[in-house]
Amino acid sequence: MKTLFTATAAVALLATAAPASAKIANGTTVSDMIVTDSNGKQHKLSDFKGNRVVLEWTNDGCPYVQKHYDTNNMQNLQKEATLGSDTVWLSVISSAPGKQGYVSGEGANALTTSRDAAPSAVVLDPSGDMGQAFAAKTTPHMYIIDEAGTLVYQGAIDDNSSARKSTVPGAKNYVRAALADLDAGQPVAIADTAPYGCSVKYSS
Amino acid sequence: MHAISFSSWMRLSLFRLVLSFLLVVSFAATAFGRQTETLDTGKVTASLVSSLDRVAPGETVWIALRTELDEGWHTYWRNPGDSGEPVQLTWALPAGVEAGPIAWPLPYPTPTGPIVNYGFEGAPLFPVEMTVPNSAQDGDRLSFVLDFYYLVCADICIPEEGQLSLDLEVGEPIEDVIWGPQIQAAVLSSPRPGSVRGAAELANETLSLTFTNLPDGTISGAYFFPFDQGVLGHSTPQSFRLGKTGIGLMSAPEFLWANGIAETVQGVLTYTLDGETRGEVVTVATNAALDIGAPSISGPSMGLWAAAFGALLGGLILNLMPCVFPIISLKALSLAKTAHGERAAARRGAWAYTGGVLVTFALLAAGLIAFKAAGAQIGWGFQLQSPKVVGILALLLFVIGLNLLGLFEFGSRLQGAGQGLTARGGLSGSFFTGVLAVVVATPCTAPFMAGAVGYALAQPALTTLIVFLALGLGFALPFLLLGYIPGLLAKLPKPGPWMETFRQVLAFPMFAAAIWLVWVLILQTGANGTGLLLIAMLLAGFAIWVFRRGSGFAKGLALIVALGAAALPLTLSTGAADVKAAVLDSEVWSPERVAELRAQGRPVFVDFTAAWCVTCKVNEQLVLKTDRTQALFERTNTAFLIADWTNRDAKIAAELERYGRAGVPLYLAFPASHDDVMGLVLPQTLSFSVLEETLGQ
Repeated sequence: MKTLFTATAAVALLATAAPASAKIANGTTVSDMIVTDSNGKQHKLSDFKGNRVVLEWTNDGCPYVQKHYDTNNMQNLQKEATLGSDTVWLSVISSAPGKQGYVSGEGANALTTSRDAAPSAVVLDPSGDMGQAFAAKTTPHMYIIDEAGTLVYQGAIDDNSSARKSTVPGAKNYVRAALADLDAGQPVAIADTAPYGCSVKYSS
Repeated sequence: MHAISFSSWMRLSLFRLVLSFLLVVSFAATAFGRQTETLDTGKVTASLVSSLDRVAPGETVWIALRTELDEGWHTYWRNPGDSGEPVQLTWALPAGVEAGPIAWPLPYPTPTGPIVNYGFEGAPLFPVEMTVPNSAQDGDRLSFVLDFYYLVCADICIPEEGQLSLDLEVGEPIEDVIWGPQIQAAVLSSPRPGSVRGAAELANETLSLTFTNLPDGTISGAYFFPFDQGVLGHSTPQSFRLGKTGIGLMSAPEFLWANGIAETVQGVLTYTLDGETRGEVVTVATNAALDIGAPSISGPSMGLWAAAFGALLGGLILNLMPCVFPIISLKALSLAKTAHGERAAARRGAWAYTGGVLVTFALLAAGLIAFKAAGAQIGWGFQLQSPKVVGILALLLFVIGLNLLGLFEFGSRLQGAGQGLTARGGLSGSFFTGVLAVVVATPCTAPFMAGAVGYALAQPALTTLIVFLALGLGFALPFLLLGYIPGLLAKLPKPGPWMETFRQVLAFPMFAAAIWLVWVLILQTGANGTGLLLIAMLLAGFAIWVFRRGSGFAKGLALIVALGAAALPLTLSTGAADVKAAVLDSEVWSPERVAELRAQGRPVFVDFTAAWCVTCKVNEQLVLKTDRTQALFERTNTAFLIADWTNRDAKIAAELERYGRAGVPLYLAFPASHDDVMGLVLPQTLSFSVLEETLGQ
């Protein structure tokens, strides 16, 4: 898949100018930001126009990420979202070198294999530019960008903020619900929630 | 006394000594605090402790989870902030016992990179009040079992959990001598609802929180921790402002505001009162604002008389500031001329000078009051933020310089040739010198003055006027004293031919001052505005030449050209001023940048400056731009931020106001070890040793 990946106009601006604290609003349109995946391939987000894009911030050392991978919750969601559809799933690793969750391209691919995960690509963002542009706070932190290139969901993966694996089955999955709303041609009902988990391990 | 409740704790403490004695004698095993089991969950050592060793039926006892965190690790408050998870307690209680909510300790914002969490370090206690049923019998054993869970984080996060239990006997109550007082202290400092009222309002994407009914005392900082996520951006710095009757905090709204926020939100307001941090649970009305009164001076407030005295002293010292020097020398010169004549004449001259000074200061105060009433953010030296004023002033100094060189004489038609403007014997000359001295003095600010002017601007109009007149009086005082203290006049040098030479020499400081103003103008208007001013100077020079040479017609022409020269600077306006002098390795100041750098653990130094502020430039040359200061900043990894007030800037004015200042310079230091939201204010006459002492911390 030849993919070019772009971030929002606001995002491109934020990446160079403002600190990460500035949250981007739903409805913001996505523009150019070039990022690199675990295979060294460059992506530009604007070229995904026409495709739905799910962004998942991740860090394999984080207990909250482990909750969703050890229970296969994340993998199932990835497969559900991407199989038989044009949806692009990008797992993003913004851990700085030396910080928890930082991996090489090979390491990221090994993780995908060992966890039987199904992202379209794993974006390596050791500089934290993409993370800070989206104001990603936690792992996991989820974003959905619709076919028109606008941000339509940001926040938690579900409504149970515990790290306990036993809480996964009973939780309401916001990402699944948002994707279902989009499939039904409706606006996303719950579009902005508080993300939970470990902090993204940006360079300090 | 049969039972002990929380409210009777204080009474009980009187008996503590007696009890301790009894405990030693009769209950040796429990005398020094129950030995509870401890559980090492990894990064935390947990134990369950009780305020009582024995509890009476129908009464309450506080049981607390005590956690000792490894150095550098933290756990989370009920709202953990941007990430994390709160400490969670699940009780298995004896029949009939009821557990209350956790009495949370005061949270602290803990920044990690760009992320801000709310949590605890050290050894926080999580007390819960247990009510023992009346049906409990003396001798019963109550067993409390706690399943606890917490996420503990440093760079990385680890969820830890465990189970602890504690048995209590029912009977005559016995306080636990170790944990009783500690739990009591924890419960007392845990935030509870009190008198404080709160409101939150959204305007221009900024969340404005206002709080009133705070206790009396000096409040030097505050932070609002909402109970729920989605109220405000946790990583957005909360900028603090102090009003007369309350405090304000500015932050960013979060998603609840877009979804339709409830009528009230709850949270904990922590504030530093007389240097001590406290917290209170506050119910905040949304879409509302409370009147917190006009901004008052942050830090120690000042009375009218203190401000007036400070202004007097400041005015006096203003005479020594570099921008005033040429004018003052001229005045001294003119005094020396009259001095050896009549004393009464010297006195009249001094009073005329004082009159000129006072009238100008009164006009300045009136201007400031009018601008303030119109809602503008202005301060001392504000008139120099207008390129028109800078242009006129530069032109004026240039013309005065020409006058001093003897190219022409002012008012020659009225008084005949031979008398220079400021050396003129007449009272109007003295008056005019006073006016000129003040106008040229405004870019300078002297010690004692900043606080007084800052105070004056926050006060009603009459007070502003009084403080400004005191400033003027101080400024004029040296000349009044010359006229009234016998012998002083005689000490001035005797007039003679040397005075003509001296007068011509003084033309050069005038030209220097004009050059400086032209430089200010370059920063304000760029090349075009500067060109315009230089043309105005050319026209002025030409007009003077024509006037001197010409007949009646030529004189008329000269007047028209002179008016044109004076009118040119009035067309100046603030333009692309992208010529910035490179000073150190600096960044542009913003409150967000300060918070961000501090979150990274870097010391921060902020230089509030302006091109027209001479004191600022002197400090830059003597202290800030020096090699050793640069080395100090590098060694301590201090970030150097510049807030440039050359042109009007509401954000900078608001920040100056927070520190009770109405003008620049203001130097703020945030050493790494400094944990107040307000920075340390360094003296306006900066020195390397002060910087080293502050930043070397």
